[in-house]
Amino acid sequence: MGSALENFVNQVRTMSASGSFRELADDLPESVSLLARNWSILDNVLETLDVQQHTLGVLYVLLAKLHSAATANPEPVQIIQLMRDFVQRNNVEQLRFAICAFYETCHLFTDYLVQKNLSILGIKIMARAVDQIRQMDTQLTPIHADLCLLSLKAKNFNLVLAYLDTDITDISTAAAECKTQQQQQSQHTDANNDAKYFLLFYYYGGMIYTAVKNYDRALYFFEVCITTPAMAMSHIMLEAYKKFLMVSLIVEGNVSGSERVSFVQTNLYLSCLYLQIAFIPKNTQVIGRFMKPMASHYHDLVSVYANSSSEELRILILKYSEAFTRDSNMGLAKQVATSLYKRNIKRLTKTFLTLSLSDVASRVQLSGAAEAERYILNMIKSGEIYASINQKDGMVLFKDDPEKYNSPDMFLNVQTNITQVLDLVKQINKMEEEIILNPMYVKKALGSQDDDLTSQHPKTYSGDPTD
Amino acid sequence: MPVLPMPPLMQNAIEPMQVDAPPNEDNENNEEQQIVVENPSIDLEVYANQYNGIVRLHRLMYVADVCPSLAVEALKMAITYVQTTYNVNLYQLLHKRLSDLNASNAPVPPAPAADLAPVPAAALPDIAAVPAAIALPPLAQGQAAAGEKDSFAYDAVWVDTKMKKAALKLEKLDSDLKNYKSNSIKESIRRGHDDLADHYLSCGDLTNALKCYSRARDYCTSGKHVVNMCLNVIKVSIYLQNWVHVMSYISKAESTPDFAEGSKEANAQVHTRLECAAGLAELQQKKYKVAAKHFLNANFDHCEFPEMISTNNVAVYGGLCALATFDRPELKRLVIASTSFKLFLELEPQLRDIIFKFYESKYASCLTLLDEIRDNLLVDMYIAPHVSTLYTKIRNRALIQYFSPYMSAEMHKMAMAFNSSVGDLENEVMQLILDGQIQARIDSHNKILYAKEADQRNSTFERALVLGKKYQRHTRMLILRAAMLKSHIHVKSVTREGGSNHGAELCVSAGSTTTAQLARM
Repeated sequence: MGSALENFVNQVRTMSASGSFRELADDLPESVSLLARNWSILDNVLETLDVQQHTLGVLYVLLAKLHSAATANPEPVQIIQLMRDFVQRNNVEQLRFAICAFYETCHLFTDYLVQKNLSILGIKIMARAVDQIRQMDTQLTPIHADLCLLSLKAKNFNLVLAYLDTDITDISTAAAECKTQQQQQSQHTDANNDAKYFLLFYYYGGMIYTAVKNYDRALYFFEVCITTPAMAMSHIMLEAYKKFLMVSLIVEGNVSGSERVSFVQTNLYLSCLYLQIAFIPKNTQVIGRFMKPMASHYHDLVSVYANSSSEELRILILKYSEAFTRDSNMGLAKQVATSLYKRNIKRLTKTFLTLSLSDVASRVQLSGAAEAERYILNMIKSGEIYASINQKDGMVLFKDDPEKYNSPDMFLNVQTNITQVLDLVKQINKMEEEIILNPMYVKKALGSQDDDLTSQHPKTYSGDPTD
Repeated sequence: MPVLPMPPLMQNAIEPMQVDAPPNEDNENNEEQQIVVENPSIDLEVYANQYNGIVRLHRLMYVADVCPSLAVEALKMAITYVQTTYNVNLYQLLHKRLSDLNASNAPVPPAPAADLAPVPAAALPDIAAVPAAIALPPLAQGQAAAGEKDSFAYDAVWVDTKMKKAALKLEKLDSDLKNYKSNSIKESIRRGHDDLADHYLSCGDLTNALKCYSRARDYCTSGKHVVNMCLNVIKVSIYLQNWVHVMSYISKAESTPDFAEGSKEANAQVHTRLECAAGLAELQQKKYKVAAKHFLNANFDHCEFPEMISTNNVAVYGGLCALATFDRPELKRLVIASTSFKLFLELEPQLRDIIFKFYESKYASCLTLLDEIRDNLLVDMYIAPHVSTLYTKIRNRALIQYFSPYMSAEMHKMAMAFNSSVGDLENEVMQLILDGQIQARIDSHNKILYAKEADQRNSTFERALVLGKKYQRHTRMLILRAAMLKSHIHVKSVTREGGSNHGAELCVSAGSTTTAQLARM
């Protein structure tokens, strides 16, 4: 036993010294089980290795340690300390040779923290890990999902919001990484795990945005989640779909066909990039076939909401409260109810110049003038409506939006918007250029003209241009 | 011994008769049950004489359905009329309805007896009562009816002879047709089919009639025949209320090559008939504006087809639909200034007044007049389901027109002009504002309606910003999607092996193409 571990240490030391990291990375996975068996003396092994010089060795020791955490039951503080040390002092160059193992370590570490209820301690570590491993700011890694999970569990969003706010343009997946490194992993599960972590990132992200009441962005995240290409239904998508319905009620007051719209648009645009979309599973079908029936309560909610009757909505929420609580969406359901009151008041501002508080109450089905006043006051405060309340005769005076679009602030706002749009256009152009310069694309595009028309056909192109 | 009034139990027992009723009749009854007309001011005799054939029966039955005060009279007229046809089923049905009606109206004199009767009758074993009742019905019914009124007695002999005659005629026509077919003279075969269909129609067997009329299609030799066939099919489809069918055959008739040829006189008639049928079909499909245009195209001089629609109907349907959907210039140009439609309107002076009052902006009197004719419209089987929608549309149009020239309008005066209370008016106007049909806001405190001046610059800015945001959102999603596809992220069905302890898990469902995709990875 002891000699096997010694061998391991020696191997790491000599290979790291000679700089043959690739071979090392290829060999190490085999020793994971050996390390895990000897969990009791791993600390000794760690002492002989230096994080900076032998990053790969330390990584696998950590992995083994986390794998054996269930049996070894180590001190959480120690694990966290080790992990923190590792992400701060490791050598990224070396780490790149074993990205998969690093991802796995991070996932296991996250699970461990969640189990121990110590999520808050892991946020910084994970953020650092993400910073290290991603090749550019706009790359999504599977660890993003871990970061979100920890933040959600710890209810601490300061750090994670920066990561969520960046728009993703590239995705690093375990499958792709493993492939380049020729590792003998079961691609079977990996390929699906990529989708899983992708979905989880957008699902958790949507939940975080909902929690900080950035509903627009939350809606965007949920939408990404439910429009992900799918051949089968993922439960993550289902949950995201439920939340999507509720949040879109809160934001827009109705569920627009936006998910479909964006899908179609994407399709149209990308048809010029047809090598890439040679294979698009029709996920809208999945939504229609599996999700709609499974989210019937939520569809009821949507249809009742459309009637603008707060009373009916309240009854319905009460009726389904058990289901909502089970899905832990009760809080959202209550927000939906509140948003309907607000929406109805907003409708009033469109039609009335003045209205008495009691009239407001009766028209939006609030219990009385006092409650109506409270709602209106809150809405004025948050800038949702423009109005003033005359308490003497109990009248509300609704006003128009005072924005005249002639202030410097508004000018700046418009300008930033324009810049953003132009940046996006540039990016699209760049992407298109990349595709056009792809030799595979050129070959296929020139090869047969007829195929342009049938480019949507999945069977026609089995080649993979990204290889 | 005088015939006893039927105990209520009998009514239930006769239930088996119901089987005879064509199923669509039942549906119709259920649908229209909610409309009840109290006191229409129509002369049923005149009304019924506008039509002949099945339409007259349908219309009379509809009147009986919705209007209790005219029900008996309508049924009796229907029975008289049905006796001129071979429609035995309908005859039986009508009789049943009549006797039901009489039974429910009549029990005033024998009230004590009837009151006592149900209790023991209900307590008695039903088994005994039912077979007896089944055995009795025609006779008992006949006697019961005879007790009420002699001339409308159930004529079992008539039923028998008619049935026999109908069967005989059917046989003859059938064998004739077979004869023609063996001689394979197209024209005769076509006629044979038509005759057979006519007979089915007379018997009230609409589906078979439709079948036979359609079969004639293969034997049409000239465009005129095709048009004729189309007209027949349209007629029966209208009876069956199959409006999609009606529309498709109208277009078929119109696209017949030599439809435009032939004598002008006959052509105009066909044309008018098609327009009316199209109007009717569009009306039933709630496309009021198109319907109005079709009706307005009808030519008064050639508008004589009592088996489908009367000239008065054309006037009312066309006028109402036009009023509900046309704007002011259209109303002036197409309705008021139209020489051909003027003739139609002459038949319905009330409606003409309404249109003119509306055009002269005398909304109060216009709406009062509309209310007056409402009951008469409700006994009309085609327009009744649409009356309330059309009325709301007309009212809304009036409101919009009323307010259009004003910057601010006092709602008290407005309410007066529209015969309604300020509160109701407020709700109506609110709905219109929300729908974007009136650009205004209500000062509920002083009850004044103010027109809202739209600031084009502001709204343009607003729209542009919203659009920009949308574009950004879509583009971001597009870029992300490109990345997604590049990295082959998609959810697949995979039989799960190693447990994933990450909380959410992937659902495995039908799908077997995994291997194909794996090869691509």
